[in-house]
Amino acid sequence: MAVPVEYYLVFSTLIFCIGLFGILTRRNALFFLMSVELMLNAANINLVAFSFYHGNLTGQVFSLFTMALAAAEVAIGIGIILVLYRNFADVDVTRATTLRW
Amino acid sequence: MTRPRLHTSSSQAVGLVAFVLFGVLAAVFLTADFADAATFSGNADSVIEGIGYAMLNLDAGPFAETTDGFLITFELLGMALLAALVGAVMLGTRDDDGGDS
Repeated sequence: MAVPVEYYLVFSTLIFCIGLFGILTRRNALFFLMSVELMLNAANINLVAFSFYHGNLTGQVFSLFTMALAAAEVAIGIGIILVLYRNFADVDVTRATTLRW
Repeated sequence: MTRPRLHTSSSQAVGLVAFVLFGVLAAVFLTADFADAATFSGNADSVIEGIGYAMLNLDAGPFAETTDGFLITFELLGMALLAALVGAVMLGTRDDDGGDS
């Protein structure tokens, strides 16, 4: 028998909390993107683990869709960071406090 | 020098929330009792094959009875990726005539 499902859960919790730590403490927008990716992939680990746990393939298919959505999100996010750097000369998320300038 | 910098001087104390969350979630997962996992019947190649069939709504492969079809999701995700591509190009395009962004 393979690895118990609790280990997968603790592992994905660890990855999720690393992403949460990054979002809470960093101020660089690129670190935000990386942390959001960590949190999304923690959800993917849960999907694959419970797909194996239930003997059903739906979770694995859905995790592939989640990865594609994460790719779309990163494309938009990097575009936003590009505009942020162009307008504020910095990628610090705490400095972009105005919508129009 | 306006390059992006790594901010390390800000307060890191709020990151303790992530550690506390990890502790709580890990305690919950390790004390919960999960039943034995239902394993896949086929080998690893049949799992990959089943993912491919399920993603394209084909009623074939070894997991055709238990897995839903995802053709609509597949096509919608293609549209979402296309929209993200167009959005990223629109955000990244530099306009020189002084408009906003």
